[in-house]
Amino acid sequence: MKGKVGILLAMVVLFGVIASGCIGSQETSETKTTSVELTGDFVKDVVAIGKALESNGVSEVKFSAWGSGDPNSVMRVYGIVEAARRINKVWEENGVNVRITITDTHYVASFQDAYQEYLSKQPLGQAGDFFVNSYAFLPTLADEGYILDITEYANAYKNVIEDFYPSLIEASKFNGKLYGLPQDTEARPLYIRKDVAAKIGFNLEGIEENVKSGEFTWSDVYYWAKKAKESGVEWGLIHRKGSAHPDLIQFIFAFGGKLYNEDSGKLVVDVPAVYKWLYVEWKFAQDGLLPKDIMSWDWAKQIHPAIVEGRTLFDIGGTWYWTEWQTKEYYGKEGTPRPLKPEEVQAWFAYTLFPAGEKGLKPVTLSQPFVWMINSKAGQQNPKYDELKDLYHKLAFLMIIKASDPDINAIHSVISAHLPVRKEAAKLISDEKWLNDLKNLNLDLDPQVKDNIKDIVATTVHPINAKFLADVSYMLEYTKLAPAHPKSPALADIFKEAVDKVLRGEMTPEEGVNYIIQKINADPELAQNVEVVGEIPKDWKFP
Amino acid sequence: MKGEKLRNLSFFLSPMIIMVGLFYLIPLIFTIYISFTKMRNWNIERYLTEVVGFYNYQRLFHMFQHDPLMRTVLLTTIVFVGITLIINVFGGLLLALGTFFINESSASAIRLLWLLPRMSPIAVYSLVWYYFFHGSNIGTLNSILMKLGVLSQPVPWGQIVPWGAWSIIIFVNGLVGVSFGMIVFTSALNQIPKELVIAARVDGASAWQISRKILVPMMKWHFLYVLTWQFLSLLTTYPHLFLLVQWDLVSRDYGTTLALYVYNTAFGRGEQDQGLAAAAAVLLSIIGILGGFVTLKVLQFEKMIHEPRGDIE
Repeated sequence: MKGKVGILLAMVVLFGVIASGCIGSQETSETKTTSVELTGDFVKDVVAIGKALESNGVSEVKFSAWGSGDPNSVMRVYGIVEAARRINKVWEENGVNVRITITDTHYVASFQDAYQEYLSKQPLGQAGDFFVNSYAFLPTLADEGYILDITEYANAYKNVIEDFYPSLIEASKFNGKLYGLPQDTEARPLYIRKDVAAKIGFNLEGIEENVKSGEFTWSDVYYWAKKAKESGVEWGLIHRKGSAHPDLIQFIFAFGGKLYNEDSGKLVVDVPAVYKWLYVEWKFAQDGLLPKDIMSWDWAKQIHPAIVEGRTLFDIGGTWYWTEWQTKEYYGKEGTPRPLKPEEVQAWFAYTLFPAGEKGLKPVTLSQPFVWMINSKAGQQNPKYDELKDLYHKLAFLMIIKASDPDINAIHSVISAHLPVRKEAAKLISDEKWLNDLKNLNLDLDPQVKDNIKDIVATTVHPINAKFLADVSYMLEYTKLAPAHPKSPALADIFKEAVDKVLRGEMTPEEGVNYIIQKINADPELAQNVEVVGEIPKDWKFP
Repeated sequence: MKGEKLRNLSFFLSPMIIMVGLFYLIPLIFTIYISFTKMRNWNIERYLTEVVGFYNYQRLFHMFQHDPLMRTVLLTTIVFVGITLIINVFGGLLLALGTFFINESSASAIRLLWLLPRMSPIAVYSLVWYYFFHGSNIGTLNSILMKLGVLSQPVPWGQIVPWGAWSIIIFVNGLVGVSFGMIVFTSALNQIPKELVIAARVDGASAWQISRKILVPMMKWHFLYVLTWQFLSLLTTYPHLFLLVQWDLVSRDYGTTLALYVYNTAFGRGEQDQGLAAAAAVLLSIIGILGGFVTLKVLQFEKMIHEPRGDIE
């Protein structure tokens, strides 16, 4: 009996296997064209990819877009949504029956958190197909194989690539290969309160030129900050905090130092420049011109209110502050906190480059471009991914080409006070008619995009803001980039700790420099990647 | 008969063995293995097979020798675990005893009050204390003390090192942890026959005497359990610490314990070095195992284990 049951079971299993094989064979379809060569003609390439997908039975391509940053920078994800709409339109006009659907627009405030999430989810295949984040993370993502090498694709689109500012394209490379397209950039001006300056007799006329020529240095900043303090203003200088915001390392460049040795590929601790940076911070804090505990100040409740309420003469900030002050309720001087009006921002703030550290040196600014990056697994949620991977990847590349359209880039720049990355976008910003159309949202945009940016547009699209962007654009000629090196965040953390200790008076500037060197040497891996050059200068005076 | 006994044992013990194996043993073995690899940035495919021997341990010990922060991490771990443990265990005991001698409705209300920190989401709870202890005049504590005229200018409580930072992390975690001991001890007290307490009352014993002579000695097992559990829990806890350090409320140097160091190294914002973190986690596990063993020895755990009086066969 047992034997019969066994034979019966074996037959059932065998039948099942054969049947499933037959059913499976019915589902198998022939894979047709799986590769399309990019020609540089956008419409032709999009149509060719669309047709190739269609011939393989694909009617819908799903992508997701991940972005992060300040509340006004949502075009970092809606740029992708708009790009999808524009490609869909091309397909529709050319009779291609395929559509792109953006399944997820994931936008978070902290770009470091977004990076952390991407890093943990990419290996699991759960990260966004498009990822826009700081170029500082690009080397690690590229090195780990988490983002797509688009060098070959970009070669076919030289006409578009050449319209980007070259330094920003360089920032999107790792080991000579291109891993993304610039999405935006910014400068970090030194803001000066005009009302406080007037109160202390600080004539701001020609200040920009004096800073440019290196006549107005950090000794002058100190002098006027002290005057402001003596006149009863709470602070002489307020600056940003944290290690991910590389504002303060501008001091290293302003004192003629460097952060990276291109010959050895190592990070550099330029001891004389770092010492001078720490000394300036220490001097300002010791003399009560800069809060000793600024590195633990609250952004929304302390840092921004102190600036917009005129409780400081100087502030080291970013260009995006200009519109952030117009959208966030930082100004509480009249009782109920409110955002500033464009006219107020214009009337209250002057702005210049970050002055030279001392006479004979040059002013600087620092940019941290954001970059459109493509997941190396982009398109994996779509049918026949393994066979059609090349098509999905090329389509993703064409998506970021489209998302870099001058008008999309210009919209982002105007509403978020970031600088455009393309020359064509810069031209649009200075076009009054186009600005008016943007103000009225009278542009050919996806309804979803319009709906999501309408409030930001209402408060930020203003001739004053466009003029500000035009005014600060020249700063890109002076810009420096923090090194895009996998060990850079670790070194930035150590710099931050040293600045904090020096500001609080726990260490002298000399001890601060030694602390940095000690911390680097304590980690053999970091020590291998960092060169310590120069010595603490003797008899150096500030101011 | 022997086979049947084994089958019975297997049947009853298998859920426990599976759970322990799945959630404790395998992760522990995996952590030990990762500590011998170059694993970083979650790149399992690339680094899981890249065995580097004792490299991570050598690097870790080099850092312990030369990085002042690492020594501070160890010191902070010892102080944090030691003092918070005392607060959690004895605080829980005091609360349980205190509520034992009052009427049940008041006792329930007090217990519920002490459970609130544990029931609150970690971010919300930490945010409350962030604003309470904030080192500027936006901090509630500073604001109150300045209004009362006690302070003329705000005090950066969490940046006063080491004790300012230590006090805040101990206080915030102590408030959360004390409710665990309270529940266990309350449960233990409810198991003690009421006749004993009533008889003591009749003989004129005070609450203190009843507690000292009757209740506490009968809770030795629970005391040992809470002590060991809380020790291991404090050694590995980091969420509240992470937020308080992340928000710059407390000094990074004196707010980072070994558990938080492991987390930051493995999942921090810069390079995520899971190999190095795993080596530190193994070290943490060894400290935990040794600490737990010592606690059980000191409190003579083996004497509390008796053969069952009944025959289970």
